[in-house]
Amino acid sequence: MSDVKIEASALSRSYRRADGAEVKALSAVDLRIEAGQFVCLVGPSGCGKTTLLQIIAGLVPPSGGNIVVNGQRVTAPGPSRGMVFQKDSVFPWMRVHANVEYGLSCRGVAKAERQKVAAQYLERVGLSHVAGAWPRELSGGMLKRVAVATVFANGADVLLLDEPFGALDYVTKRQLHDVLLTLWAEGEAGRRRTVVFVTHDVDEAMILADRIVVLRAGRVVDDLAVAADRPRTTDALLLPGMVRIKHILLTHLGLEAAR
Amino acid sequence: MTPRPGWWSRNWASLAAIAAMAGVWEILSFIYTAEAAPGEPMVPGWEIVFGRTLLSLADYWGGGLGVASVAEGAPPSYTAAVLAIISNSFDTIVRLYTGLIAGAAAGTALGLAVSWSPWPRRVVDSPLQFLRTLPLLAMVPLFQLWFGTEFIGKVAFVAYGIGVIFFAGVANAVRNVPQIFIDNARTFGASRATLYRTVIFPAILPELRATMLLALGTGWGAVLGAEYLGAQSGLGYMIVYSEQFAYLDRMFFVALLFVLYASVSYALFDRVSRRLLDWTAKSGQVSATL
Amino acid sequence: MGILLLLALWQALTSVVARSSLPTPLSVAIRIRQDFIHADQLSFYGLNTGLLDSMAYTATNVAAAVLMGAVVGAPLGLVTARFRLLRALVDPVLMTAGTIPIIVLAPFFLIWFGVDRISAMLLVAIFVTVILYVFAQRAADNIDPVYEESAYTLGASRARVVRDVLLPGTVPQILGGIRIALAGAWGLEAIAELMGAQYGIGKIVQLLAGATDVEGIFAALLVLGVVAVACDGLAAWVVARLAVWNQPARTGAE
Repeated sequence: MSDVKIEASALSRSYRRADGAEVKALSAVDLRIEAGQFVCLVGPSGCGKTTLLQIIAGLVPPSGGNIVVNGQRVTAPGPSRGMVFQKDSVFPWMRVHANVEYGLSCRGVAKAERQKVAAQYLERVGLSHVAGAWPRELSGGMLKRVAVATVFANGADVLLLDEPFGALDYVTKRQLHDVLLTLWAEGEAGRRRTVVFVTHDVDEAMILADRIVVLRAGRVVDDLAVAADRPRTTDALLLPGMVRIKHILLTHLGLEAAR
Repeated sequence: MTPRPGWWSRNWASLAAIAAMAGVWEILSFIYTAEAAPGEPMVPGWEIVFGRTLLSLADYWGGGLGVASVAEGAPPSYTAAVLAIISNSFDTIVRLYTGLIAGAAAGTALGLAVSWSPWPRRVVDSPLQFLRTLPLLAMVPLFQLWFGTEFIGKVAFVAYGIGVIFFAGVANAVRNVPQIFIDNARTFGASRATLYRTVIFPAILPELRATMLLALGTGWGAVLGAEYLGAQSGLGYMIVYSEQFAYLDRMFFVALLFVLYASVSYALFDRVSRRLLDWTAKSGQVSATL
Repeated sequence: MGILLLLALWQALTSVVARSSLPTPLSVAIRIRQDFIHADQLSFYGLNTGLLDSMAYTATNVAAAVLMGAVVGAPLGLVTARFRLLRALVDPVLMTAGTIPIIVLAPFFLIWFGVDRISAMLLVAIFVTVILYVFAQRAADNIDPVYEESAYTLGASRARVVRDVLLPGTVPQILGGIRIALAGAWGLEAIAELMGAQYGIGKIVQLLAGATDVEGIFAALLVLGVVAVACDGLAAWVVARLAVWNQPARTGAE
């Protein structure tokens, strides 16, 4: 099945810097993402990957081109596309469970129902014991779990993650990868959510992605399929096919000379 | 100062708002024609303010510079009026800035002194809080009784008001200097004096900017307050004198002058301090305009 | 301890300065007791009242003015922080009002609205409005945009974002602003009364200043100061309890 979920055509975005110079964050990006795919956007910082994600989310309007999600043109942010931000976005003025319920309450879901859903997702991310806590009482990793639970609870079938685990330590990061993959994989094959995950971490992309799209200077420069089976064990990442992909990615990032 | 391109598009709404305020005032002056005293409209329109009122300010010119005063029997003239405005403004501004400099210097010095080690802070903190809550303007009569109505009385009052603000501002700012800067300087072997000169003083400058803006506002209020209760010159004196005779139009004119001076002093300070504090992050307003 | 030091300093000064210009702490304390319910000196001026009643009058005005100013200023500040055009329109109006000292503004109000409670109240309310407008606007400017973006991506409407993000996110700063406005309001109310009123602490100071009664002025100002400090303490206590989520983190262990 090749049901196109997200389609960007000739997408561009430029903005004016404080000194008046015109900066092109994205130029003529064409990208089709199929339903249920787990796509990682990889590239050096400043390559436009976050901008692309924000355009898909509807937080930033494109300067040119079109972005279509679920067959509808994106004009504003909405609950059909859940977003996990790089910074902590958990509202500090709401208790943890209220944060997870927030999206549902915006859509008018009855209290009992949304409490049930929130409790369910808090359980899946392993935070049932702090449902009644204030966010300030949680660690950085726990806050990320709350953010992930919030977008999953809200039921969006497109998930956008903007370097969500960049600031976490290695162990916490790996735990969150598991949490994310488990939640993503739980829908039976055809009903999986579509994920677009921005990262600059090559290993993270190789653990998570079905497909890695490489951006540089606002353009798509490569598009790699990652066919390895899941779960991707340490050994699996050392298979020749995976090592080859890693070399390609490192070359794109300028860390290895082209061979 | 030549407006940069785009200046209009950024500021047209503010200018429109100011013009609208002026317009509303003029319309009010037509609709609401009640008088505070015979011949003194409650809402003086602009044609009165910049005509009759301006001319009447010649009353406040004491004579000299070849322009005779009204008291000497000369007819009121625009020259005398302008001279009256300049000389009275000058008096007020001199009082303000003398007090401002004295108060800011004394307040900063004291604030740094008590921050030198923890115990004077603890001692000074609560009386300071108390002095700060004592309403400054209500103390005008006290200062008058103590220092008289001469120049020194007004300057002392302004200096006191500003000194307290600076003292509190500096003491607070020193407390807010991140410990990591201090520790870092210590690991380089900085002595206490060096530490103050190279770390603490620069680090509190941005907060001092906010303190200075607050002090400017307080200072303008204080100098007018001091003049209000006993002075023979200055903008505050002009207001008192006008109020006694319910010369609302003259009060209005002085108020306009005041807004002008205050805005200019804020803008100037803002410009200078921005240049001095270029290293601090610009608070770029990244507001989500959704 | 600091207060004791201040008292000692004051006592020491009285031995240097003439008694008529600086009364001793004890004499001021006695004077406060004397004048508390009914001040004889004020009867000469036809004012049959004491410090207690006057303080109550002043405090009522301050409370009403702070309430009025907060209700107008804070929402206006929040809204203008997100609507650029509205901000450009409102900013100059309120900033102009904010730069005019009460001394300049008061005579107009006294003539327009009469030498009455309403004049002083409106004057103080204007300044409180400006302070809270500035505080609320700055708080809304400084709130991390990620919260609003997150709310929008979760499907929140604009109204919900204002209610659930902008308002709670700025509450600590707005409450701080109310504390500052309250602290300033006492002085403004006092000066407004001093310039023209029939009752209040400011009125007492004005009458006694005419009689060069320094002791009486001290007594009145001291009562005002103590009440102001007490109210500030109360406000601090309430603020700490209202913004529960904003208290410093205890521990953040995973």
